[in-house]
Amino acid sequence: MQTKPTALKILDIVSVLLLAAATYLALFYAPEEAVMGQVQRVFYFHIGTAWVGLLGFLLAAIMGIVYLVTHDQKWDIVEMAAVEISLVFFLITIMLGSIWARPVWNTWWTWDPRLTTAAITELIYIAYFMLRAGIEDPDRRARFGAVYTLIGGVSAPITFMVIRLVRSIHPVIIAGNDPSSQGTFAMTGGMQVAFFFGLFAFTVIFIDLFWNRIRLGNLAAKVEQLKLNITN
Amino acid sequence: MFFLDTPPDTSSYMILGYAVFFIVTAIYLISFFVRSRNLKQDLSMLESMKPESKVMESKTPVNKVTASSTTKVNKAKAKQPAKTKTTKAKAPASKTKKKK
Amino acid sequence: MTSKTLITDNKVKNASFSKAIAAVVWKDLAAEFRSRELFSAMLVFSLLVILIFNFALELDIKTRQSVTAGVLWVTFAFAGTLGLNRSMAVEKDRGCLDGLLLAPVDRAAIYFGKAISNLVFMLIVEAIVLPVYSFLYAINLFQPGLLLVILLGSIGYVSVGTLLASMAVQTRTRDVLLPILLFPVVIPVLISAVKASGGYLTGGDFTTEILPWINVLLVYDLIFTAIAFMTFDYVVEE
Repeated sequence: MQTKPTALKILDIVSVLLLAAATYLALFYAPEEAVMGQVQRVFYFHIGTAWVGLLGFLLAAIMGIVYLVTHDQKWDIVEMAAVEISLVFFLITIMLGSIWARPVWNTWWTWDPRLTTAAITELIYIAYFMLRAGIEDPDRRARFGAVYTLIGGVSAPITFMVIRLVRSIHPVIIAGNDPSSQGTFAMTGGMQVAFFFGLFAFTVIFIDLFWNRIRLGNLAAKVEQLKLNITN
Repeated sequence: MFFLDTPPDTSSYMILGYAVFFIVTAIYLISFFVRSRNLKQDLSMLESMKPESKVMESKTPVNKVTASSTTKVNKAKAKQPAKTKTTKAKAPASKTKKKK
Repeated sequence: MTSKTLITDNKVKNASFSKAIAAVVWKDLAAEFRSRELFSAMLVFSLLVILIFNFALELDIKTRQSVTAGVLWVTFAFAGTLGLNRSMAVEKDRGCLDGLLLAPVDRAAIYFGKAISNLVFMLIVEAIVLPVYSFLYAINLFQPGLLLVILLGSIGYVSVGTLLASMAVQTRTRDVLLPILLFPVVIPVLISAVKASGGYLTGGDFTTEILPWINVLLVYDLIFTAIAFMTFDYVVEE
């Protein structure tokens, strides 16, 4: 338990290499976009981090159900790892989305469905951690966390669809552009390479972080168990 | 429009974006290391406490001095018969725990 | 076992299930009728919120039309939080919850009982707020469509709120935690309710501007009531 498995050590190195490669492709290999200029390159990582956030989100909701069914603490640890990673990566997604919006639409924030849902999901995650922080008993904490990830997991997609419905019924014009088009641009060959490689690299990065975070969670659970034993 | 021939220079935003990505990711990774180190320190401290309390229990059941015990010596002596029973009951329980 | 015995068995089970729900609802309503503390708190709070909005928003006749729906639902959301918190806190503090859990009733019955009584409180408050708002701002709020939207929205709010309040009341931070847990999750209800209410108030076209939102409310109510009563067990078990 204490020493890192070799597979994980290798995965760590592979992840770093893939990230470096993805950065190179995004910054240098992909051609410059004609309308927006260099800021468009932010898009490759914006989508990559959104993808990681989404993976974490889905896993968390599934793990919530699995924990409620099995009552096995390891699923609770997996669930918390997924939520935490998704929290960090959605945060990056939102910040990159905002940075992209500024030169393109002359605004720091667009109330478009994807960004807004990401922000609301962040609030759900923060609420999740606040809920867990207020509970001493590990079993109850796990149960409540699982129920809340389930509720949040169902609510966020509904929120996304509802906001999109708002947009389609009442298209809002912001800074002279319709943000729902998300600044579409035609992706040429070089761009597609950077884009898809980015998705691949971020998937591997997610797995690496996930594994590491689960190990950390196991360690934390062990420490907490010992503390409870000693104080009893 | 001036921008028909050359795209606008938005590279400062690009740099900002990538800086944000790497800085936040770095902070997250550092938090991993910090939390991991703290937990390992806690773990080693807790594990060094465990054998101490076990040794005390198996040696002298009368003078039960564990981390949780806060009763004064007089009270402890008065409650001896009850305490001996509980310590004896606890000792095998903690032994089976360790075996796991 | 003959089929007849099975049928009567089910009838007995259903009877005791609905009896349990009725008992919980009756207990809450009777207790509240005697003390009226929950109800008066929610009511006074709502009236104060409307008053504050009056000064905060400069509700001249033109803006009133577009803003009324939002003001109403913000008021209901905050007053609703108050009601949910108090309702569950009382259970915990007086140990009623433990008593209920010991009784041989299905946990889902307890959930429905609490949810229905919470809904009744919220509806009563809304029933008073509406005429007050109509009176203060000369807007006729008594359209059947609008009342339907308020009902559906309240059901959605209370179904999730009862479950989350049961959780929040068992944590260290208690009351403070409920809005934090509830609001992000209940946003689809708020958006849809405001849009539908606004549609009715501005006389918008039914099929394009109101019906989609009512559909969302119906779907949300169904899904989350189902999730809530299925997971309530996990939230109250010891």
